[in-house]
Amino acid sequence: MKYWALLIAVIGLTLSAGCFSCGNDKDAEVRVKPPEPSDVIGEDLMLALSKAKNFHHKARVYMSDGKVVEAIASVREILSLKFPAGAPEAEDVRNDARALLAKLLVGQNQIEEAMTVVTEGIAQSQRESFFVANLYTVKGEIHEARAAQLDDKDPAQKAKIVDEKRAAIEAYDKSNAINTVLQQKLMEDR
Amino acid sequence: MATDDDDILTGPVPAPDADATPSERARAKTFADLVDKTLAGRTPPAMSTDDRALLEVATVIRAASGKAELPAAKRRSLVEDALRQAVGGAGGTSSGGVVPIERARRRWVPWAVAGTSTLVAVAAVLLLWLRGAPTAPTVAMPEPTPVHQLSRPADPLIGPISREQVGDASTRIDTIYADRLDGYRERRLARGRKP
Repeated sequence: MKYWALLIAVIGLTLSAGCFSCGNDKDAEVRVKPPEPSDVIGEDLMLALSKAKNFHHKARVYMSDGKVVEAIASVREILSLKFPAGAPEAEDVRNDARALLAKLLVGQNQIEEAMTVVTEGIAQSQRESFFVANLYTVKGEIHEARAAQLDDKDPAQKAKIVDEKRAAIEAYDKSNAINTVLQQKLMEDR
Repeated sequence: MATDDDDILTGPVPAPDADATPSERARAKTFADLVDKTLAGRTPPAMSTDDRALLEVATVIRAASGKAELPAAKRRSLVEDALRQAVGGAGGTSSGGVVPIERARRRWVPWAVAGTSTLVAVAAVLLLWLRGAPTAPTVAMPEPTPVHQLSRPADPLIGPISREQVGDASTRIDTIYADRLDGYRERRLARGRKP
């Protein structure tokens, strides 16, 4: 009886070793991770873009009726939209909305609020883009608006005017620099 | 001279309480000696028919009482013969060199186990050898996702924004949305879904 038990044990060990080898072969195939769902254009991204588009259209309608306050409120809605995590479009759309919002605020003589909107957008940006360059352009306009509000006949404010105009030029230069670099990069990629 | 005691089978039956006659005593002693010799294996070559009949009766009575034993070798031989017939083997007499059934049956089992184990081991070695050396891991490359189906910066699509176009964000979002919608629809259709 013990001989048969020994035989069964030997056969079992042999078959187990064979199966283990088979399993190793299956593991030898390396699978490359497919793109993450967040990497591709999904429903969440399209939904956020769609909402942003509608808020922009809404703001344009308000502006056409001279309802700037309502237009500002509509553009502000874009800043609170929820985009998929890490979607580059989110930063671009928000920066574009900030640029429009800042221009509307400047038109309402809310210059400091406009500057806050722009500087926050620049600070929160993860990369340089044409939209960031656009923010610098708006920032230059805000500096110009600040300078325009100052009385150039007042000697005490003359220096401030000079500073604001210098800051405006720096902002425009920064915008141009970003645009130049990005355009060169795009040309190289093509 | 013949007496009544000479013919114990045809003579008159003595009374139950009658004393044994000298003749009867002598005959009993002679028969007792004959039984003792038979049990000791020294049976006389010749004896009278009456004595042989009585001796057989005495042997049967002794065997029936359970006191008769065969020698160990003879007993084992008889048992082995009986068992061999019982398991279908060839019957027959066995000599002193009879091999016990259990031992004879077990003699081939170790060889069978060893042979089968060897065959299995050889088969396993051949299997590993024929499979050859492990090959380099194969890389299953998935189909690359087209760029226009990926979420990406909108810079190439929009380009530089001039100062006059700063407030034209509505047009830009329309452009971005339309482009991403194309990629989204294409991806959904490629996966066999309704966009």
